[in-house]
Amino acid sequence: MMEGGVVMGKQIQWEASLTATKAKAKKEKKFMLMDFYNDL
Amino acid sequence: MENNFIPLQIDFNKNKALVKRYAVKWTPTIIILDSDGEEHHRFVGFLPPEDFIAQIILGKGKVAFDHDNFEQAIQCFQEVLVRYPKADAAPEAQYYLGVTKYKASHDPKELKLGFEALQRDYPSSEWAKKAQVYSLIP
Repeated sequence: MMEGGVVMGKQIQWEASLTATKAKAKKEKKFMLMDFYNDL
Repeated sequence: MENNFIPLQIDFNKNKALVKRYAVKWTPTIIILDSDGEEHHRFVGFLPPEDFIAQIILGKGKVAFDHDNFEQAIQCFQEVLVRYPKADAAPEAQYYLGVTKYKASHDPKELKLGFEALQRDYPSSEWAKKAQVYSLIP
């Protein structure tokens, strides 16, 4: 489960910029997982 | 996950442009995109670990499917069915497995086999209903 930035016990290194993430995804030949969150 | 995806977190309240662009109305909304920013799969709400991972693998398969990478798509859909057969993503994975095998082979029999698998394993799912028409294939 993704909660507090953790998926299945692993800490996630989140990116914050779509533009930078697209460039990184192209370079590393990966996809993007975009999480829209809301701090209640 | 890090082998396949770059994770990106967007604050719903602070990035209205992206919220509008991707028509996000509720959080969490998880969207799987290719490296061009094109959306291929999404789901809304908190999920238990197995359902979450199954949705991610399903999304990876749908990116591959949309890019005509049928071999990788089939691997992903099969992975969902083998590792997470009870996940809510499984019936959709079964549907797309049949469709992908058909697209790869051009053999309509694959659609019928896909329907039969849905009818057997997930008979009450919406995906079994969507595949019902393939039962007519001789």
